Amino acid sequence: MQKTKRMRKGRLWSLVTSVPELTILIILIVGGYLIMGVFSRVQGTEVLSPSAMWLIIVGCFLISTAVAVLAVIGGIGGGVIFTPIMLGFTHMDSLVIRATGLVVAMFSGLISSGPFMRSQLANLKVVFYCGVPITIGALVGSVSAIYLHQAMGAVGDGIVRLSLGILMLVVAYFLFTGGGKTEYPVPKRIDALSLRLRLNGSYWEASLGKMVDYQMVRALWGGILFILLGFMGGFFGLGGGAFLTATLNLIMAAPIKIAAACSGVLLAISNATAIWTYITYGALIAIFAAPWMLGQVVGGILGAHLLIRIRAGFVRKVLILILLASSVKLLVRGVEGTFGIHIPIL
Amino acid sequence: MKVERPKPPLAALIYGEIVYWGVLLGSVIAIIGSTLAFLGDNFVPVSYWLSSIWQGESVYQTWEGATGSMPMGHWYLSHLSTGDALTALGLSLGVFAVVPALFLSAAILFKEGEKLYGSLALVGGVVVLMGVLGLAPMP
Repeated sequence: MQKTKRMRKGRLWSLVTSVPELTILIILIVGGYLIMGVFSRVQGTEVLSPSAMWLIIVGCFLISTAVAVLAVIGGIGGGVIFTPIMLGFTHMDSLVIRATGLVVAMFSGLISSGPFMRSQLANLKVVFYCGVPITIGALVGSVSAIYLHQAMGAVGDGIVRLSLGILMLVVAYFLFTGGGKTEYPVPKRIDALSLRLRLNGSYWEASLGKMVDYQMVRALWGGILFILLGFMGGFFGLGGGAFLTATLNLIMAAPIKIAAACSGVLLAISNATAIWTYITYGALIAIFAAPWMLGQVVGGILGAHLLIRIRAGFVRKVLILILLASSVKLLVRGVEGTFGIHIPIL
Repeated sequence: MKVERPKPPLAALIYGEIVYWGVLLGSVIAIIGSTLAFLGDNFVPVSYWLSSIWQGESVYQTWEGATGSMPMGHWYLSHLSTGDALTALGLSLGVFAVVPALFLSAAILFKEGEKLYGSLALVGGVVVLMGVLGLAPMP
């Protein structure tokens, strides 16, 4: 027991010394929120008191940190947790939620780009090859979201909730079955395009204590799927990291660790494209989105460095329950919004 | 026998480091901006932003009530002395880090003779830049 405590303390200390920028950022955030709480000059409104506003900001930061840690351990993007819950259980405008959802989906991926590139878990060739179709899909998806919101109003929001509810059921199924992922896929046949693109590499596998070589396949199919995945992420305001990882692992035969790392980096690139549409339109309310961003940065680094040893199986079960609950609520609200009927449950 | 681990490609390192430090810089600006927003001047009062979205008002209603029209662009760049604009700048800077990362990475790939991947990085950067500049047609 004492040994475990000492080990945890040692790991925490090594994190403080090896990633000093994280420590400085946490000190700045805690200091900033304390100053905001003590010296606030914000006026209350009929809707919210000044202390309620401060609690919203601090609460969003803490929830975002927890979401980032859960998402890193569960191997999915944070947007998949944030967007369905907020769309299902709050009355906030769907565009504001989707814009903030992109912040949640992308910042843990952005911050992990550095460590993933350093450790060679993210393959630059794969990232740049899949990066083009996914960014195009994301840009088209985000613009479509604005058009649908403008053209169809409440009915459009209902359609978004309904389709997202169905999508979340698929993600929950993926998490439940594990998606049939294989750790080190061995392709039977290598297509000419994948060979020409040199979609291969090698990385240090710590659990085996050796270098692992891999060759990826089905470059064309992967590229087509990434257009669709980019569209989905940009439209719904979620990353869909689970789908990205599955495509890289199951279709393109990347080892699971490579697939997860590349999916994080790709998620960040595609959402970095989609989010500008929301920013320039005015749908990203910075004061509300900032604590979500900061939580993702802190939680993303913490999750990757400290909590990787927590049992992923337990986290997956928690995620499945969250996704099922939010998909039921989304389906109910989607049917209500689309067909104008009231369903007297939940 | 000690296994020699290959070094990561320079283009990958450059991409990862620019994004990493760009996001951290954006985060610092965002926390400074948020703190100032609670203490001092804002383009739109914090209480209005939070109350409006908390009530479920649409983006259009929120902006109409605040400034009379939708911003349609990078509104925060012309109000950088205010807390909420500084927060928006921090967020944007964190996201924008991808653009120089892609372009610099492309330049290194071209220099190393990797024309195909240099071009792909360039195209990716141009698509993100289209989003930044708001070149996609909006309703």
